[in-house]
Amino acid sequence: MCYIITYILFTVSVLPLCVVLLLFPSPSSHSLASLPLCHCLSAPLEPHFTECISREQETFRCWWSPGSYHNLSSSGALRVFYLKKESPTSEWKECPEYIHSNRECFFDVNHTSIWVPYCMQLRGENVTYFNEDDCFTVENIVRPDPPVSLSWTLLNISPSGLSYDVMVNWEPPPSADVDAGWMRIEYETQYRERNTTNWEALEVQPHTQQTVYGLHIGKEYEMHIRCRMPAFTKFGEFSDSIFIEVTEIPTKESTIPLTLILVLGILCILILIMLVVLTQQHRLMMVLLPPVPAPKIKGIDSELLKKGKLDELNFILTGGGMGGLPTYAPDFYQDEPWVEFIEVDGEDGDSGEKEDNRASDTQRLLGLPHPVSHHMNMGCSNAISFPDDDSGRASCYDPDLPDQDTLMLMATLLPGQPEDEEASFDVEERAPASSERSLVQTQTGGPQTWVNTDFYAQVSNVMPSGGVVLSPGQQLRIQESTLATEEETQKGKEGEESKETEEEKQKELQFQLLVVDPEGSGYTTESNVRQISTHPQPVETKPAATMEDNQSPYIHPDSPQSQFFAPVADYTVVQELDSHHSLLLNPPPATPMPVGYITPDLLGNLSP
Amino acid sequence: MRQSARLQTILDLTAVDAAPLCTNAQAGCHVLSLANLFDRVIQHSARMHGISNDLHSEFELYFLPSKNQIGRVSRNCHTSSILTPNGKENAQRMAREELTEVILKLLVAWRDPLWHFHQSMAHHHDFNNFSSNKSLEMSDMVHELRKGVQKVVEKMQMLGIISNSVSNLASPEALLASDSAEWRLMKDYDLLYCFRRDSNKVQNYLKILKCRIVPEHGC
Repeated sequence: MCYIITYILFTVSVLPLCVVLLLFPSPSSHSLASLPLCHCLSAPLEPHFTECISREQETFRCWWSPGSYHNLSSSGALRVFYLKKESPTSEWKECPEYIHSNRECFFDVNHTSIWVPYCMQLRGENVTYFNEDDCFTVENIVRPDPPVSLSWTLLNISPSGLSYDVMVNWEPPPSADVDAGWMRIEYETQYRERNTTNWEALEVQPHTQQTVYGLHIGKEYEMHIRCRMPAFTKFGEFSDSIFIEVTEIPTKESTIPLTLILVLGILCILILIMLVVLTQQHRLMMVLLPPVPAPKIKGIDSELLKKGKLDELNFILTGGGMGGLPTYAPDFYQDEPWVEFIEVDGEDGDSGEKEDNRASDTQRLLGLPHPVSHHMNMGCSNAISFPDDDSGRASCYDPDLPDQDTLMLMATLLPGQPEDEEASFDVEERAPASSERSLVQTQTGGPQTWVNTDFYAQVSNVMPSGGVVLSPGQQLRIQESTLATEEETQKGKEGEESKETEEEKQKELQFQLLVVDPEGSGYTTESNVRQISTHPQPVETKPAATMEDNQSPYIHPDSPQSQFFAPVADYTVVQELDSHHSLLLNPPPATPMPVGYITPDLLGNLSP
Repeated sequence: MRQSARLQTILDLTAVDAAPLCTNAQAGCHVLSLANLFDRVIQHSARMHGISNDLHSEFELYFLPSKNQIGRVSRNCHTSSILTPNGKENAQRMAREELTEVILKLLVAWRDPLWHFHQSMAHHHDFNNFSSNKSLEMSDMVHELRKGVQKVVEKMQMLGIISNSVSNLASPEALLASDSAEWRLMKDYDLLYCFRRDSNKVQNYLKILKCRIVPEHGC
């Protein structure tokens, strides 16, 4: 009686707690894992089953515990009986296989049926401990084994280099017969940073691989996986953990050298360009900035050529003081190899190439016996050796006009000018004609009597017979030159040829003057000259005789013709140069002209 | 969401029949399409089992059974009369035709009970809409799954994998035979429990069949 009252009181006190607990039972009502708390708190614990688990849905095992009844803990004190409710007439049977060390009852394949309810029972001597909660069906107690062969591979690293993604692969548990389709397994991956307590659980999925995103570089991660049957609730044990760690990788190794190489390459190229520019500065300057011809007269300082210094220049040019330009005219333009002297009319006609040693303008001006290439365009003969684009020189390279004729004509125009052998040699190169050669030769060695800068003769009149009337100042020179030439002719004459040449020379001399007419026809070709020479000339027949007494092949102007000479000036204004390098002379203007050099600004004052 | 998924499944099953992937001349192609069919059916059955599980847990939670019902339930499942293999070896030893028949029988047996279950759930104001939708979905699924499995059977019979001894369970005679009134005596909870078990059976059997007949893909 007392016992009953105690029991009732106890039940009443504990009942609310039990009710609460029963409101939230375990998901599977057939589970043996969750033990009702009522039993724990109240009465002594009966022998009970702790858990029944199937690993592969083919066998299962149950463990029991004697509870508080320690006297029943010895093996054999309790016996396991099970009821397999296949038919209404099924009976309780004893455990097919005991494992007493574990207090385990193992049901093998033959004793295991799926989808069939089992009820477990513990029996002592005379006591049966049975709990209806210990009934289950095998598919509901399946806890698959953990997966095996876990491995991981690095998928990628974020651009920032701080996080990375990993792919974890594994194999299904070997005990689970997945191949036969008997079991389907879902996997749950969990990971955490090492030495932390909370696991990150990823979603359950049925594939044997899992991508884990957002792991941090430098940190070590621990990862493990467990299995479950789909649409069931019981997970198996966790697998062994694998550790994942990715240390910092120098990602820009490949790019840094590349950029470095590019930069170095560009720098080297720039340095090379600079070197080239610096070393070849002059040449580049020549190419990029071709020299602009400036007024440069050989032997004359360019300072004098500037505006306002005309008087000084004229003084020099006219030989004031020292008698003209000094022999050793300062070489003002030595540093400028490209200097080309402009062809200036009048007194300046002898400007030529500085490199032209053979035709020293200074010497020409002074009339010294130095090699001179005497012609209108002085630099031509020597300039022929190398092409020249200068405007003053281009005319020399006219293919139309045979060089031979040019040289010949030029050579004879200014008689008395000594010719260097080299110059003659030059001429010879281009004038293989013997006549010209001899012509040239005859003119060598002649004395240079005039030092006057006025070496151009002004033709005041042209005789109908072909003679040329020159200004009185020139006649003397001409005479002397002709005398010299005649002497040479006599010396060097070689029979008829020499005579003929002499005649030809006379003719040419004569006709050169003829050719120079104001109309500007310029020089004629040799053929023209010969044509002209066919005309009988009274003057020609008596070259020797006329030369003795101050006679020139030219018609000496008589008094009636002297009218023409009186107003003739000592120089001639060159109107223009035609293509044949002939000077187109004009009668001097009435206005007084400055003697000597004409500056370009003064040229404007000249009336055409 | 579930409704749309259900419709999708229906379309999938009908589409398979309407647009065969390849001509009959190519043998390899047949096998591939059979595996495809199997996969669809298995997915369907898995889904069905999942829903039944959810519904069962929800029911259990809601109605708070005071005790474990398992002892009583096993006696009341109307499908207990159908002989089903209760183990892996038994299932594997069973002939394909038999196994197929078992599957079909199970599916046929559950068509009406589930429909009535849904009806009773709909009238139950205690159940929320979610459960009501699930029960409807479940009953539709059984219907669809049965059709799908029948298609698979036809395909297998065409390919000669199984003989034509599999009876046509869609015939009215078969339906009448399976229409036993036992299920009307079952309570709702027992019904759910039984269906959960049977859907798991169907899923397992289908998977075994597939891995036995066309094991290349996903076994």
